[in-house]
Amino acid sequence: MADPKKPRPAFAPWDRRELPGSFTVEETARRVGHYKWVEMRLFEALGGWVATVPELDVKMRLGTHCYKHAWHAELWHKRLPELREMNPDRLTAPANDDVVAFMDALTAPERTDQTIEKLVGVYRVLIPHKIAAYTYHLNNTSTITDAPTIRSLKLILSDEFEDWRDGEMLIQSLLEMESEVRRAADRQAALEAILLRAGGIAGPGSIGFPVASAPPTSEEVLT
Amino acid sequence: MRRHLPADALARDDRFVRWTLEDRISDPRAAARRAVSSSGGPDGSGGSGPTAKNRVGFNPSRPGAPDQARALMHGIFVGELQALEGAGRTCFDFDTGSGTDEVPLELKLDMARQCWDEARHCEISVKLGEWMGTEIGEFAENIFLFEAACNPDPVLRLVGVNRALEGLAIDVFNTMKEFGDSAGDPFLSFCEDWMLADEVTHVKMGSDWLRRLTEKDPARRDRALEFQRVVDRLFSTGGFRGEEKDSPIKLARKFREMAGFSTEEIDVVAEEARQARAEMTDKVAGP
Amino acid sequence: MAKIVVSPERFSLVFFDAERIAELTGQVADKIGLPDDLELRIEVDERMPLGRTKISSLDPVTLSVEGGAFEDAKRPRHLSDRSVQDVLGRMLLRVKDRLDPNFENAPADENLSLQQLVAWTVYSEGRCERLGLPTQKQRWLYHFRNRHGFSDVADAAFDRLWNADALTWSDIDLICAETQRARDELANPGVR
Repeated sequence: MADPKKPRPAFAPWDRRELPGSFTVEETARRVGHYKWVEMRLFEALGGWVATVPELDVKMRLGTHCYKHAWHAELWHKRLPELREMNPDRLTAPANDDVVAFMDALTAPERTDQTIEKLVGVYRVLIPHKIAAYTYHLNNTSTITDAPTIRSLKLILSDEFEDWRDGEMLIQSLLEMESEVRRAADRQAALEAILLRAGGIAGPGSIGFPVASAPPTSEEVLT
Repeated sequence: MRRHLPADALARDDRFVRWTLEDRISDPRAAARRAVSSSGGPDGSGGSGPTAKNRVGFNPSRPGAPDQARALMHGIFVGELQALEGAGRTCFDFDTGSGTDEVPLELKLDMARQCWDEARHCEISVKLGEWMGTEIGEFAENIFLFEAACNPDPVLRLVGVNRALEGLAIDVFNTMKEFGDSAGDPFLSFCEDWMLADEVTHVKMGSDWLRRLTEKDPARRDRALEFQRVVDRLFSTGGFRGEEKDSPIKLARKFREMAGFSTEEIDVVAEEARQARAEMTDKVAGP
Repeated sequence: MAKIVVSPERFSLVFFDAERIAELTGQVADKIGLPDDLELRIEVDERMPLGRTKISSLDPVTLSVEGGAFEDAKRPRHLSDRSVQDVLGRMLLRVKDRLDPNFENAPADENLSLQQLVAWTVYSEGRCERLGLPTQKQRWLYHFRNRHGFSDVADAAFDRLWNADALTWSDIDLICAETQRARDELANPGVR
């Protein structure tokens, strides 16, 4: 039998976690506050849309997804005081005005014949961008000091991938004509342009690269 | 997207046909219907068997009972759709905050959770409908559940949906569970029991939030409870629900207590149901 | 085609058309193969939105129907061709059976047990399906299970009844006895 008093390393050989991370407590709190704001707007919109979509399978799925993003908002809400933000509402804010403009555009469709627009906004634009921002955060924060954020990110990312797949399959099943494919593409492009100006769901640096505040004009591109 | 969607804007596919409260009230046969206890849908029975005289309430031993259960199951399905839509709208229709026209974040989180639960109930109802041989949209949909419960005032909405509508759901699910038990249906009582557990949670949410939101505003609480009585009365129209032996839907006292209703509150619902039934009896008897 | 009389001739509480009901009745009667010299009376109680039906008499053949049985469940007070064909299909098949000597042992309608009634109905509904009349198999399977049990024995009995074309009353009664034995065994396992 091994000697229980024999010293063992504090970190097992297979535990390669390190201290360094890209984000301070304050930067993490800032990002988490932005994430929470986005998740809140998203779950509110999904809940509101349930009554406006006639497709039964979409209606029920939106109800399920509404809860998932509400839970994400709750996880971020609970994380903020742990990051020295005793007033979570203070940091629960959009990263900038373009993020507000993006969410307003995302949630604008309400007619019963706009299910494609509603779903494309969420599942082909917002959720992929959330996955990108969360993955960047997961891979860059300190695996030791910021373990609670990492745990939340992993749980949330699991939901995001599932929801992304659900939504994408619903979209594909709704596109029956070329004109609808173009509608979906146009909607996606319009929203992507706004989010590009925003710099991502947490503003510039959402996925690490600093992004220009506005896309270049065609004149700038040509000269 | 606008806030406070009117009930007639609820989105449905072509299978669904709406039947309004006005249609129901203006049906000239309504008086004749109340004169005889409900016997369910067409059964081709020819009025046979030893139970032909036993025309009381939702009685499994009556020839038309399986069709009655089917119709009720479809009613549950559309009710769950409206409950899902109601919970979803509550997430969206109000700003987050502590003002009179606002709702706290935690309440919205609870409503989002209810969204998930109601979506699941829709899924369960669809599967049970398939089990019972009912097509989606086979029966007309009455949207007075959404109409009655979805008030622009957040506190009235809470009592309308989470105490009145979900309280009715407790009564209905309990009745269906008992029907499933008596028929030996392996799925019906199992599924109804799972949904019942969720509804007890929803009513409790409503009771807890009503208390918290009106802690410092007793007048608002009184208004809310009065609104709940009105909605409960609507849901008991014509003796549909009550404690009498021939009430199609029985008041489920035990589960309501679990959900946070006090004995006095349950007594009020029972009394409203008795009055609704008496009104209809008087109407049938005529002057 | 059989001679058909529908009463009332004019409806005041519902939007039913007596001529249309007569037309549909004739079509169903022909599909079923009822004799041309048979007189059929369809008495509709339009006051009642319920759906109870009854074979009131065999001579002349008189079917008493509460209005709800013919009603469109999605458009209250309106006639549903499908409901008329569905209800009359099974009722007229039962009439045809009663006129058949192989059914002379069948108890009167008011003396049928729930199990016997639904078994006979399933036998009728299966024939309706093969005649091209509207029916809902899963609905009747649910009815059958409610009375005969949720079991493999009951499901097998349902299939036999649904797929049969020339049963006698004794056959139906035997099937009921079989499912009863299965229910008894389930309730009292090991007891014979």
